Amino acid sequence: MASRSGFSAQTLSVLAALCDQPSQWQHGYALARQTGLKSGTLYPILIRLADRGLVEACWQDEPAPGLPRRHLYRLTATGLASATGALARAADRATEQAAARTATGKLRAGGRPRPATRGAAAGMTP
Amino acid sequence: MNWLERTMTAAGRGAAWLLPAGRRDWVAAVWAEAHEVPPGLARLVWRAGGVWMLAREALMPRRLGRAAVFAVAAAFAAWAAWPQPGVGHAAESQFHVIATVLLLAGLPLLARRFFGSASPGRAGRSLRVLCCAAVLAFLPALAVVEAFANLTPAQPAYRYIFCIAQGWSNTQGCGGVPGRSTGGPPWAGEIVLMLLTIGYVGVILFLTSRRSQVTRSTLAIGAGMGLLFGVVMFAVAPLGLNKWATDPWLPGSTADPLVALAWILLFGGPAAAAVLAARRYRRPDGTKPPYTVRIGQGIAAGVLANGTAALFTAALGTGTVALMLKSAWLLHWLNHGQQLTAVVTYRYEIYAGTGAFAYVVMLIFFPVIGLIMSSVAAAIANPAPRQPGPRTDGDGGPPSPGRAPVP
Repeated sequence: MASRSGFSAQTLSVLAALCDQPSQWQHGYALARQTGLKSGTLYPILIRLADRGLVEACWQDEPAPGLPRRHLYRLTATGLASATGALARAADRATEQAAARTATGKLRAGGRPRPATRGAAAGMTP
Repeated sequence: MNWLERTMTAAGRGAAWLLPAGRRDWVAAVWAEAHEVPPGLARLVWRAGGVWMLAREALMPRRLGRAAVFAVAAAFAAWAAWPQPGVGHAAESQFHVIATVLLLAGLPLLARRFFGSASPGRAGRSLRVLCCAAVLAFLPALAVVEAFANLTPAQPAYRYIFCIAQGWSNTQGCGGVPGRSTGGPPWAGEIVLMLLTIGYVGVILFLTSRRSQVTRSTLAIGAGMGLLFGVVMFAVAPLGLNKWATDPWLPGSTADPLVALAWILLFGGPAAAAVLAARRYRRPDGTKPPYTVRIGQGIAAGVLANGTAALFTAALGTGTVALMLKSAWLLHWLNHGQQLTAVVTYRYEIYAGTGAFAYVVMLIFFPVIGLIMSSVAAAIANPAPRQPGPRTDGDGGPPSPGRAPVP
């Protein structure tokens, strides 16, 4: 489900993984391990992020002997700004939802909070 | 690397050429990364993910997917509607099938060029798909109905009913050669059907394009009202507008509440949709006065309401008649509890077959009624604002200049 930031939960997890070390190039498999996403989900997300200019990709210069070159990814400057903002908003929303859940739990437990009147809010009650 | 992995790798590398050049790197990246994944099931799952990604990237470009779905549906409809050997007016029927498929394929391309791409949102796209599906469904259904309605029966008892149902007053020697389909839609009829198809598809493409600036809520209101009216209309006339055909399961009398509701929706539906769509319009245009834009939205909703209803009823009704002609169980279900002799069965079938052509009348007149009713309703609900200006009568203001003296 897309969040209000325009990124899905999976995309946010990829952005969070890339935000951990924004200047470092990261491999697909490392990202998959960090996010818990399968390759069929991870790579389409990386493609969309690269299409939007949020992620840059390049091929490894010196591959390990006997192994093919690996594809590397990191956030662009725009991507870093977008990711930081989106993750902050997601964190705020999670906090709000947690607070709402706590309030709902209290209501269910029978602790009905007193409704705040306009006068009380303005400090006019005696 | 076992044979399965080798096969998947080779298939993946080969299939990567299905992708645009800018995407092939990504497929190569998945295959390269597979060497880092522990061998066994995890690596297999990784490669399977790559195949899945490849399939998505290759097939997901929606135009390609939609084109493939349309091609399959159109091919099936054309195959089902293709005239059988011995059917009268085969050339006209073949023209109808080919022209309809070509129109459905070509009009969206023309609309894209002249009206711009589809308006954002699901309402517009859904309407386009529904319109296309209705026109395609209409093709084979109409072919079945035409073939039956024009087939001259061999038995004299049936032949009399056939001639009466066809509207011939002189039943002596009518209907041509018994056992052969000698009648059929003439070229004029086919051209009318083609013009209707062009009109419906063209109007739907225009209303759902960016250039028309018809809002999502207008589309939703118009289509919703149209579907409601279509359901009612189909319930009133499931087997054409013929009382012999609709008698089996609906009285079909003018006093029937459903018939009354259909009349109300025919005239009141577009008017209500027009008023509602005009009120829901919130987006200021800036270049045109708001009341004219609201009237435009109202007219679009009204035309859409009655047009959708007509298309829905015609496609579903003709399909029901065709199904009844092909499947005896539907006829028996519709006429449950009645003694159906062979002659009575034929009478129902031939009246339903000939009555189905009344749907064409609906297709012509419903949108016209929708246009008139919605124009009137939208104009009444959104009057032009009065221009402020100097008053020429009353107490206030400077005195108006008198008439200039005639020399």
